[in-house]
Amino acid sequence: MNEILLSNEVIVYLLSETVLYLLLFIAFISTLGLLRKWNFDAFTTEQFALENRSYLVMTIIFFVMLLKVVLLPYFVYTIDNLSNLIPGAMCGAGVVKANEYGNPLLSLKIIILFLSGLWLSMNSIDLKEKSYPYLKLKSWFFILIFLLLSSEFILDILYFTHIETTNPVSCCSVIFGQTGGGNGLPFGLDILKLLILFYLLFALVVLTTLSDLAVMSIIASLLFGVIAYYAVVYFFGTYIYELPTHLCPFCMLQDHYYYVGYLLWGLLMLGVFLTIDAAVMQSFFKQPSKSLKRISLLLLSLFVLLCSAYVTVYYLKNGVFL
Amino acid sequence: MMIRVEGINKIFNEGTPQAFEALKSIDLEVAKGETMILSGVSGSGKSTLLSLIAALDKPSSGKIVVEGELISKLPDLHASAYRAKSIGFIFQHFNLLESLSVEENVIAPLINSGFDIVSIKQMAAKSMQSAAISHKASQQVKELSGGEKQRCAIARALVHEPELIICDEPTANLDRENSLKFIEILQSLHQRGKTIIVATHDPLFETLPFVSKVVHMEDGSIV
Repeated sequence: MNEILLSNEVIVYLLSETVLYLLLFIAFISTLGLLRKWNFDAFTTEQFALENRSYLVMTIIFFVMLLKVVLLPYFVYTIDNLSNLIPGAMCGAGVVKANEYGNPLLSLKIIILFLSGLWLSMNSIDLKEKSYPYLKLKSWFFILIFLLLSSEFILDILYFTHIETTNPVSCCSVIFGQTGGGNGLPFGLDILKLLILFYLLFALVVLTTLSDLAVMSIIASLLFGVIAYYAVVYFFGTYIYELPTHLCPFCMLQDHYYYVGYLLWGLLMLGVFLTIDAAVMQSFFKQPSKSLKRISLLLLSLFVLLCSAYVTVYYLKNGVFL
Repeated sequence: MMIRVEGINKIFNEGTPQAFEALKSIDLEVAKGETMILSGVSGSGKSTLLSLIAALDKPSSGKIVVEGELISKLPDLHASAYRAKSIGFIFQHFNLLESLSVEENVIAPLINSGFDIVSIKQMAAKSMQSAAISHKASQQVKELSGGEKQRCAIARALVHEPELIICDEPTANLDRENSLKFIEILQSLHQRGKTIIVATHDPLFETLPFVSKVVHMEDGSIV
């Protein structure tokens, strides 16, 4: 057995994932039964049993999904720690690239996180009603998420069992560095255009959210999420590291940088998610929530302020930009 | 109609060799302001029926409608809200918090009710007065006699002004004198228009003038 599978973080992570997956598998089987036989208008023994079981199943899914939300930062922490075992890796960036499963796994985890969040919101709306109006919808949605979770579980196993501690991997400066004459940014953007887009999209998210333009708000939030990722890696991150050539989304998760990456990425992901969630709840479920909108905008504003503060403080201290 | 029970069945341990049919095809109606006695020996299904009407449990099949609301289908969160808003419970064993005072016990159902403390104190005072236990307000429940404990339980059941009062063997632990006092309070509640259901095998209740319906239960059925 390789060193990776024997590391404490990986053991805890894989065990947690296995237990949660088993619970979700049980919930999945029960959900199929619910979908096949559910008829709220019936007053039969079978329907009452289904109603009782649905409460239990949905509670299991609720808690597992909450734990999955917590497991994402733990996964990031785990791969960041594994950089000590893999030659060439300076942070999680190299570890993710240690085999072909790392990147799809991380992307899938983020997608599942967003979908799980939407499921949790849908569940909370359903529980507020007396007649389970969204039970079938949230059950189908759970089945979709479960299929993704199954892929994630397989990728988890494949990823951790296929990391070689003898093969050197690239470090973040090679992965995100400027090679082949390109700057690594999408859509032919340069840093100035990237920053303009970053602040414009943030303003658009604020405007569309406050104006209740739900669909526009979803599109603007998703775009902002993507552009913000590049802005942090290719611009704001260099001010966190105080080094213009250091381009990495992972190093900022380490103690040298006071773990600020967790705060930064957490604010961004939660802010984008809640903005989308508020828009989905408003447009599809007719459940507008001012407080949800306020929280999402507060989180995104804190994210933008924190990014901007690093640049401002650096300039005030040194009198120059990087 | 305040309460309508249609074709209710309740089977415990369903699908197992220990399955037990506690209620069999129960149909029942209780009008608003009516006082109904559910009589029958222990194990006849009285308490099970009460727990279903109070949404403490769900039937195996059938329909229970209280004030137009389908109680038998309520999800747990809504069932709790329904109990907190609409029902006052009085139990055989009182179910009081022994180390708290009478007033604190009476106030308990109003925790998280949204009322301010001044209103809560006023409601508790009024309720204790109705149950003739105001003079013991600051006394700990463990220091009370059985009759006083029952009056404390009554005050607690009434504090949120429920429309429906459910009593499960309320006089089983009381002597005759205290049972009569309890009946007096029950009569005053009836006069205030409350709907009352009492599960009891105490024959004192069956001949009371304000009781409009006596339903006798046997082996989970109404006879």
